[in-house]
Amino acid sequence: MSVEIEFDSSWQDDFLHRIENDGPWGNWELFKLAIGVEKHLVIPEFEGLLAPKHLPNLTPFPHQLETAKQVIENMNGKAILADEVGLGKTIEAGLILKEYMIRGLVKKVLILVPASLVTQWAIELNNKFFIPAITQRKSYVWDQYDVVVSSIDTAKRNPHREIIYQQDYDLIIIDEAHKLKNNKTKNYEFVQNLKKKFCLLLTATPIQNRVEEIFNLVSLLKPGHLGSETVFFEKYKRDSRSLNDDEHLKELVNKVMIRNRRADTGIEWTKRHVETIPIECTAPEKELYEAITTLKSDGDWVQRSAFSVMTLQREACSSREAVFYTLKNMLQRKENPTPAFEEQIQFLIKKVEAVQQNSKAEKALELIQKVNDKVIIFTEYRATQMYLQWFLKQHGISSVPFRGGFKRGKKDWMRELFQKHAQVLIATEAGGEGINLQFCNHIINFDLPWNPMRLEQRIGRIHRLGQEKDVMIYNFAIKNTVEEHILKLLYEKIELFERVIGDLDDILTKLEFGNIEDHLIDIFGQSCSEGEMRIKMENLSSMIEFAQTMKEGDSHAAAGNS
Amino acid sequence: MQQQEIHSFLTKYFQANECEIIENTDGYLTVQLTIELDKELMNRPFYWHYLEKTGGIPNPMQLTFITNKEKAPENMKGEIIHFGSPRLHQIFESAKSLASYIRLYENHRHQSSQTPLLPWLCMNVKISYQCDRKRDIFKSIGLQLINGQMVEDFHDRLLQIQLTPKIPDYSFTLSPLVRPKSGMSRIESYLKSVIEDDDHAWADDARQRWDQDLQLLNHFYEDIEEENESYETEKTALKEQYEPKINISFINGGLFYLTEKAI
Repeated sequence: MSVEIEFDSSWQDDFLHRIENDGPWGNWELFKLAIGVEKHLVIPEFEGLLAPKHLPNLTPFPHQLETAKQVIENMNGKAILADEVGLGKTIEAGLILKEYMIRGLVKKVLILVPASLVTQWAIELNNKFFIPAITQRKSYVWDQYDVVVSSIDTAKRNPHREIIYQQDYDLIIIDEAHKLKNNKTKNYEFVQNLKKKFCLLLTATPIQNRVEEIFNLVSLLKPGHLGSETVFFEKYKRDSRSLNDDEHLKELVNKVMIRNRRADTGIEWTKRHVETIPIECTAPEKELYEAITTLKSDGDWVQRSAFSVMTLQREACSSREAVFYTLKNMLQRKENPTPAFEEQIQFLIKKVEAVQQNSKAEKALELIQKVNDKVIIFTEYRATQMYLQWFLKQHGISSVPFRGGFKRGKKDWMRELFQKHAQVLIATEAGGEGINLQFCNHIINFDLPWNPMRLEQRIGRIHRLGQEKDVMIYNFAIKNTVEEHILKLLYEKIELFERVIGDLDDILTKLEFGNIEDHLIDIFGQSCSEGEMRIKMENLSSMIEFAQTMKEGDSHAAAGNS
Repeated sequence: MQQQEIHSFLTKYFQANECEIIENTDGYLTVQLTIELDKELMNRPFYWHYLEKTGGIPNPMQLTFITNKEKAPENMKGEIIHFGSPRLHQIFESAKSLASYIRLYENHRHQSSQTPLLPWLCMNVKISYQCDRKRDIFKSIGLQLINGQMVEDFHDRLLQIQLTPKIPDYSFTLSPLVRPKSGMSRIESYLKSVIEDDDHAWADDARQRWDQDLQLLNHFYEDIEEENESYETEKTALKEQYEPKINISFINGGLFYLTEKAI
């Protein structure tokens, strides 16, 4: 037998001493209680999960239990949990943490999450898992408490950093870990130098990353799993997106990553209803939009800022305030503006001033009154956000703003205000990530994000486990504008809203077409004109169609063979 | 341990320590600590030191434990107790340390003649196999100190017997032929031989996992020439994660004087 046996004999002398002196002797009831306690604390098997028995407040879904078991038994407690949005990665992480704590393998835990989620994590761990997690407030929590939840931005700064580096962590959990894809960043370096036995990285989007990003993420978790840096990049090109093309690499990654998809969970999801609401704008609004559009043909403006023109067009579809804000900035930032440039801007500002009402806001108001329930409005622009808040207030509707830039406490406060007091939450894009709002089931997309993938994240805030009602999504589009065209393309060509992005990725990767987000970012971010955008979109949709027929062909063939 | 079991454990613990139970309902438990238990649990040595110096009136604390938040009144002040809570584990430890050693006699009903009671040494231990996974084995061993008979599951057998801290009438104890100290080493070597006979594939597997990860780690850092701090950190972490260990830890034990036919 090769394992050393440690026999604790510290008690022997004490015992003998009492035998000699005839006592003092303990109480039989307590003696029996102590045995009873020990029998409860005994771990009967290496395998299996004890945690569920300890969690009366929680009924985990089968895919969550399976994930926890996999991570502990087959992945040695080092894993990337990459479920699609809304499948309960937090629950999986909590189960794993609880299991290790019960087994006495984990005591000291550091949980790094986005600032907006710190409180939520701590509450869930305390309430659902009976784990006394503390949120970081003062620097001394690190060595005083065993389970601390903090934002990475706080943790990596001194004096925290130094104290944290002195701790030996048994388990580290990092939420939204895809932010650690670049190994040159301070955050990456910080996490790499933490002392840890077990580690969980949570993310909804690792698959879309470039090979380099996958390498960095996996190397953080398990250095060497994908080889050393030089060897790895000799084999796979740095920029390559060929993760799915290379079976070997894919297999390696799958050894440290679990990704559950909605379709595989066997859970009955509530439905999504998507409604595009075309909006007729007023004459001054139309004039503003057209004035911006005609800028395109005006010589030097176009060359330097095709992007700005499209930005302005889209802002014009959101609110006059958004346009005004950008125009003002353009004027201020330009050094030595030519009189022509200034004139141009002034001309547009005149057009902005001519706009007296916001047709979309009117429509939103009408819809909110009709729905008569909680509604989330997403907009890309802060100016629009502020305007909407003012506008709704004029009509006696209470709303709260939500932005990525809010401090943690403020985010929690706003979420709570929305849940308990306000009817509407108006969020800008950065607010879309990392907040759970499943008590609400109506979303208005007031304008469209540059990266349509974000739509899925927006929807994911409410269409997740815990949502009991069907989810209603209203997409606003002003008629005959770039916005309407984009929406048509997304909606009609690839049925983006009804599908979950993962499905589309599956279809595309089958044929090595790359992933959907890359295509969409290229189409909507890089196109110089609507024409270009339309052509690229047509390409993408025919690719998807083709891939889909191939896939169906595959399954027919398979069926035929059997 | 379920919340109800925790509740009943707490009740028994405080009763056994002679604390007054002030309220005991489904969702919570309020107890008046005795001076001893206040010192045991509340960790306020300065207060007690001060009190003893000044001769003030001792005022041990009252504690409320909430074992079921839903059933306890709203806004009730108290400690929420769950299986993972530090307070419960403190009380677990306390239960163990307050009754680590015990001596009891069988409360037999033989009134007619003088009954001999045989000495038994009892040791309750936990054997832990630990690597990146863990399992434990609870062992309760009894050793008769006259003829050296060794018995497993001794505690469960004791539960069937009436026991009392005072020697019953018409009884006398037999002096041990095996000294308690050598009895302890007999039990120790018995436990070790039981462990050695066990299957330890788990340890080999753990070493294999360890080795695999170590090879990967070496490979990862092979391009880097100089001493590397993160390499050392990772290496130590792997050792801590995987290295197989076996621990035998003592829970409690005692001397039991039992009639000849008891075991």
